[in-house]
Amino acid sequence: MPLAKSSFLKKRAKGLVWVASILFSVALVVVPVYLLVKYSVSDSGSINTGGAPIPLWPYAPTLRSFTYLFTESQFYGVIVNSIIIALATVFCSMLLGVPAAYVLGRYRVPFRRTMLLGLISVRLFPDISSVIPITEFFIRFGLQNSYLGAVLGHTLLALPYVIFIGMSAFESIPSDLEQQAQVMGAGGFTIFFKILLPLSIPGLIAAAIYTFLLSWDEFIFSYFLLGLGKISTLTLFLRQKLAYAPPQNLLAAISVFISVPVIAFSLALQKYMTAGYTSGSVK
Amino acid sequence: MLRAWFNRQGKTIKQIWPLLPAAAYLLGFLVIVCAYLIGLTFSTETSPGHFLFPSMHTLSTIFTGKQFSKALINTVAFVLVGTPLEIVSGFFLAIILYNSFKFRSIIRGLFLIPLALPALVTATLLFILFDFPGGHINHLLMGKYAVFPQVISHPIDWRGSRFFALGISLLGKAWRDAPISMLILLSGLNAIDPEILDAAKTMGAGLRRRIWHVILPLMIPSLSAVLLLRSIEMWKEFIFPFILAGKYGLLGTLIESLYNDWGNSNQAAAVALILVLCIVFSTLLFLWVMEILKKKVLKV
Amino acid sequence: MSAVVLNNICKRLGTNQVINGLSLDVKDGEFVTLLGPSGCGKTTLLRMIAGLEEIDKGDLYIGDKRCNDIPSQNRNLAMVFQSYALFPHMTVADNIRFGLKINKTPPDVIQKKLTWALDMFSLAGLEKRLPRNISGGQRQRVALARALVLEPNVLLLDEPLSNLDTALRELAMEELKRIHHQVGKTVIYVTHNQVEAMTMSERIAVLNSGVCEQYDTPRMVYDMPRTLFAAAFIGSPAMNFFDGTVIIREEDAGVDTPLGFIRIDKDRFGLAQKFVGKFVRVGIRPQNIAYVEHRESKRYSDTTVTVEVELVETLGDRSLVISRGNQDTKLRFLIARDITLQIGQKLDMFLDGRRILLFDQETTLNIFSEPKI
Repeated sequence: MPLAKSSFLKKRAKGLVWVASILFSVALVVVPVYLLVKYSVSDSGSINTGGAPIPLWPYAPTLRSFTYLFTESQFYGVIVNSIIIALATVFCSMLLGVPAAYVLGRYRVPFRRTMLLGLISVRLFPDISSVIPITEFFIRFGLQNSYLGAVLGHTLLALPYVIFIGMSAFESIPSDLEQQAQVMGAGGFTIFFKILLPLSIPGLIAAAIYTFLLSWDEFIFSYFLLGLGKISTLTLFLRQKLAYAPPQNLLAAISVFISVPVIAFSLALQKYMTAGYTSGSVK
Repeated sequence: MLRAWFNRQGKTIKQIWPLLPAAAYLLGFLVIVCAYLIGLTFSTETSPGHFLFPSMHTLSTIFTGKQFSKALINTVAFVLVGTPLEIVSGFFLAIILYNSFKFRSIIRGLFLIPLALPALVTATLLFILFDFPGGHINHLLMGKYAVFPQVISHPIDWRGSRFFALGISLLGKAWRDAPISMLILLSGLNAIDPEILDAAKTMGAGLRRRIWHVILPLMIPSLSAVLLLRSIEMWKEFIFPFILAGKYGLLGTLIESLYNDWGNSNQAAAVALILVLCIVFSTLLFLWVMEILKKKVLKV
Repeated sequence: MSAVVLNNICKRLGTNQVINGLSLDVKDGEFVTLLGPSGCGKTTLLRMIAGLEEIDKGDLYIGDKRCNDIPSQNRNLAMVFQSYALFPHMTVADNIRFGLKINKTPPDVIQKKLTWALDMFSLAGLEKRLPRNISGGQRQRVALARALVLEPNVLLLDEPLSNLDTALRELAMEELKRIHHQVGKTVIYVTHNQVEAMTMSERIAVLNSGVCEQYDTPRMVYDMPRTLFAAAFIGSPAMNFFDGTVIIREEDAGVDTPLGFIRIDKDRFGLAQKFVGKFVRVGIRPQNIAYVEHRESKRYSDTTVTVEVELVETLGDRSLVISRGNQDTKLRFLIARDITLQIGQKLDMFLDGRRILLFDQETTLNIFSEPKI
């Protein structure tokens, strides 16, 4: 009897450790995010408490930081810049990346591995190392402080990802489908637009969203290629504010503003990636 | 015969032409990066606008300066402490997700949040939390909240000391990137055939034995992949120390400060090149050590 | 008229000679099966006919046209893949319409054909479903319907039944036969399953490592396999083989084997004449070995052998007996299931001399079969 009791206790203790470690790790992830949101809706009294402990929920929660941001005329321009650069980056990297991904995913290309390594090799350099030469190069050709320069830089960062995600999207389509269409009389263009493209759309959308987000929250290349010049993006705006030690609730508000689309789309992206869209076509 | 060969080559080219623009773009930039890195490193500005190439002057200036050796030591420490920290926390998360339980997919989604948060935002958040003298962390450690005992009597100026500034950068980096380690290790765990674990169980192996003698040996490929990839990422790190550690920089922030604050593109490029070489060197060293370990383990 | 003619086709994949000088002709409206073990080149051959693989050497005629260099889409044939290859993003109806639309068929004709196909393959009501939402058997029928609405000259089928379970497969075989009968299309069917081949085809081509071992009606393939390989591959349980020497005495001919002298049928004396004194491989199907007590009388061509029972396997309707005869020669035969046998029991069996096959040891050819492919 006592033996049974002790094993029961042991089991209980194990369960407790288990639940505690789950709670601990969840807290580790969630609490910082919660605090960020909390700061973004804090009133100034909840930040400068004059020695009293900073409250876990603001005394007087307010959206004033956000409304303040939108009264600042510069902020609109910054958002528009970020969106323009991100969309242009998506356009450029899809334009270059999708055809490349198509070739790599569908054909038996000679020296495929070597080619892939060659394509990503420029990304093996640390960003901070590759950005210096590129900035120097852009200065020489008048591309620094221009939308084009930023877009070219971001495209460089995103292109390998587009190629990889797109490649696996094209690869996952069974070649039977393509050949079936061919036997039925479809030419190359019909096969591409009627069969391959519709089936790879989820993967390509994922690649496009990924590219958009990459550009949206990119900092290093923007910082060097745009400097703190007249074209500013959201991340540069945040960094600029950081340098002048502004109210913390304002910093948190900008941070939240940058993060929301990223987190939202990341969840959607996860869904897209795992969708078993081709299941059922081939047994 | 020859004609058939040409025909085949023609066909290959016809098939792969859509690849060429992307290849030209990426390889073009690769050439630009390499050429400029080397060109800038081995030239010096003799008088405004006049450059001498080749010259070792830039490199020797860097090596004699104190800044560089400090940054290098900081970076090595950053890599040596940060990599294991990140992997251990990633492994912890992976073990949790390896078990099946209620809400598993929700918790998996939560664990991925740090990855979705932009690095700059995470750095900003730490900037706020580790504020001096206010700041949540200082208040927590000073025992101002009932749930936590008092550890310090005076607030700490986190960003003002080398140890703490690099420490919180490291914390931020590990927090943000642990999910990546988690994902790789989790796929490594999932690749283990559960029947093998069951077999070990029937042979009387307890949990600890199963982890040490079955799971860990089978995880060596994914563990070494994580170790290598994450250590490279640690070398590359820029944003966290740039925002949080200011003057106590790593090689990355040294490059930025040489370029922007001192306007010395030659020295910045030289440090950038050294950083690349450091990564190459540490990768080779890692692979070499792994090779030796493999041989040793096989002997046993 | 021949619908498809293959003339001395060769194909090499890497260092592997997949098809080696293969010739075949398929008559208009005929149902021909390419049968062989995996890796024999049957699928490669089908894909060459479809135009999905290039032909290294030899000629391929479809109708009267040499088609070696005509791209797949212009050969006017249809193919059903092993995986069915239904387009997952299109509904059943769109899948069936796809080929018609590409070929610029007028909409009213498309509609008519769609209705015909849905009716013919009992798919009515499933038009708007996606492939992932219908059953395996339905998918298979959609794949067939999609191929047939194109009214191809030739229909190519690559193991279309291998993904179905046994019950469904039998249904599908009946269905395929019925449709072939109604539509009268030329069909080339690839399978490794001899039951499918036997049941459905008018002629079977038995393939082995890129060579056609025999091309004949199912009955002839079973009764008179042209080569040792065909004899061993076709039939279940597998044929018994042992070595022997051909002997002709006055009024009597047969082979001297470890089991003793085995007589062959009178009609075949002539063909055996040339091989007197030569080593041959002797084959007899388990079905052609009878239990003595079950026969009223011994026929002239029967040979009695005594065997010792080693193992009995129940097949359901009958039992398969594995036994040892003289000099440890293994002999497998079938016996009614109500006979109870003990291990080690001695039995007398009749070998049916009319069904004994002799194969030349050097060429592996059946010495009784006609010199044609």
